[in-house]
Amino acid sequence: MTSSLPLWITVGYIAIAMTIGLAARGRRSMNSLEEWGVAGRSMGPVTLYLLIAAGSVSAYTFMGAPGWAWAKGVPVLYVVIYLGYLALVAWYFGPRVWAFGARFGHVTQASAIADRYQSPALGALAALVMSVGSIAYAVLQTVGSAYILLVMSGGAIPVWAGVLLVLGAISVYLYVSGQRAIGRTNVFQGILMFAVAWIIGLWAAHGATGEWGFVEVFRQVQQNNPEFLTLPGGGGDMSFAFWTTSIIVSMLSFMPPVWTQWMSATSARTIRLSATALPTYYLVILPMIVVGFIGIYSLPDLERADTVVLEYAMANLPVVLVGLLGAGTLAASMSSSEPFIHSVALSWSRDVLQPGFKLSDERAGRMARWLIFPIMAFIIAPLAIAEPGNLVMILLIGLGFASQVLPAFIGMFFWPGATAKGVFAGIVSGFVVTVALITIWPHPLGIHGGFWGLMLNLPVFVIVSRLTSPAPAEVVERFFRIAAPWHHSFKTDEVSAVARPGQ
Amino acid sequence: MRSTFVRPSSWKGWLVLVAFISVIVAGIWPVIGWVNQAVLVLGLPKLLVWSYLVLLCCSLVMWLGNVLIGAGNDD
Repeated sequence: MTSSLPLWITVGYIAIAMTIGLAARGRRSMNSLEEWGVAGRSMGPVTLYLLIAAGSVSAYTFMGAPGWAWAKGVPVLYVVIYLGYLALVAWYFGPRVWAFGARFGHVTQASAIADRYQSPALGALAALVMSVGSIAYAVLQTVGSAYILLVMSGGAIPVWAGVLLVLGAISVYLYVSGQRAIGRTNVFQGILMFAVAWIIGLWAAHGATGEWGFVEVFRQVQQNNPEFLTLPGGGGDMSFAFWTTSIIVSMLSFMPPVWTQWMSATSARTIRLSATALPTYYLVILPMIVVGFIGIYSLPDLERADTVVLEYAMANLPVVLVGLLGAGTLAASMSSSEPFIHSVALSWSRDVLQPGFKLSDERAGRMARWLIFPIMAFIIAPLAIAEPGNLVMILLIGLGFASQVLPAFIGMFFWPGATAKGVFAGIVSGFVVTVALITIWPHPLGIHGGFWGLMLNLPVFVIVSRLTSPAPAEVVERFFRIAAPWHHSFKTDEVSAVARPGQ
Repeated sequence: MRSTFVRPSSWKGWLVLVAFISVIVAGIWPVIGWVNQAVLVLGLPKLLVWSYLVLLCCSLVMWLGNVLIGAGNDD
């Protein structure tokens, strides 16, 4: 590829995203956690729809998913299903989380945990360990962004420069406009991604088969490689057990940025409406998967599966579409990394530094804004440039932890008898099992390591909760008046009596 | 306040819960095993069509929930 047009389109995208992000602030002061952290709870249904949708569609959609289709076939579809289930999760839990935030002033997931269990230590622990997975995720997205700039520039923008360019752009508008920047840029990025994915997919199918549709692509796969159309797929490694447990573990992983997104809504009703429409956005994945299938025959000797769409586009598509693909992929990685960077800064300030140093809300708000710079400069940028081999392992461990925080949420939404010690014991036992069964003995019997972790975590959580003291009854009632208002009779001493048999 | 697990309080709540569970079951084993065939439906792999049907059903059950218990209410 010799034209510089794709690079200009890609860089032009960054300029537009920056402009939108900077303008999102308006004349508001951003020195409060309420404003910088959750946009003053101001996002309507359309903005929230695209905020959540674009945030959940990462560079994986443009690189990883087509790569899976190319290497394995239909096993990639587990992503489509669990994204749909995440919408169900948003529909049920989102309005409750929003109400917690609006009434109790929570702006982060960890602050809700600390409040429910009256344990700042548990909140700080959740904030710190959740941030391991969040940072690893942001680093992987940044690596993807730098790779796109490297390819689009024909090698003229090395990885280190791409990392600095992308993080520099994000840091400026995140500092200036906070969650409002994420909301506005995700609207732009979400629309761009959807349009680019379908244009590239249809164009590629037409180029490969002569049809403006996908039928001939799959007819060819059915004739020559039918194993790509069923589980366990072309790689032979997606059993029914792994498919099922991967979906369940992914669905139950409540990542912190998602909470921040829910808390940014104007109302509980807004979340319900956005969640109801959310599955429609995931049609964005279909055309990218199709390009992966096309690559099975047109690019059989790829070295890296996740480059299939990029390689196909550079070999077969007009330069304008290559540029749009670069912009779309960059949009996908930036729209996913910025909420994670934002939530780490927010949580470190609100849940670790504020209680640790007794900071005022205003001081914590200012600190959250400034924290994005050291987080990017001293953690994300060096890791993205160095690309350590165990980065994916760090991410898997981080996500493994995310799924193991489930007891904290069960105690918040479903079971008044949950206690801080029960949650802590469940999380620790589940986390140890998950890490061991992801890193040392990966996924025994074809069952996801995180699922094994939950099978120990949940019984330990219930048993220890039964044996230990719950949070004060008025705190539990305060939460369950929102989480399940029909479930109470509000006799405050009954919770303690039931949760502490024998006392 | 009861320390038992939270359950729906009305037939509408139970109906929405059953609908949610049905959609989740539709995307995992054993149901996914029943559609795991190398055949094309409308020119697309059967598992792909099924996955997007499950996705559509996710929207439908949430819409049902909005209608039955209200987009802004709880149950």
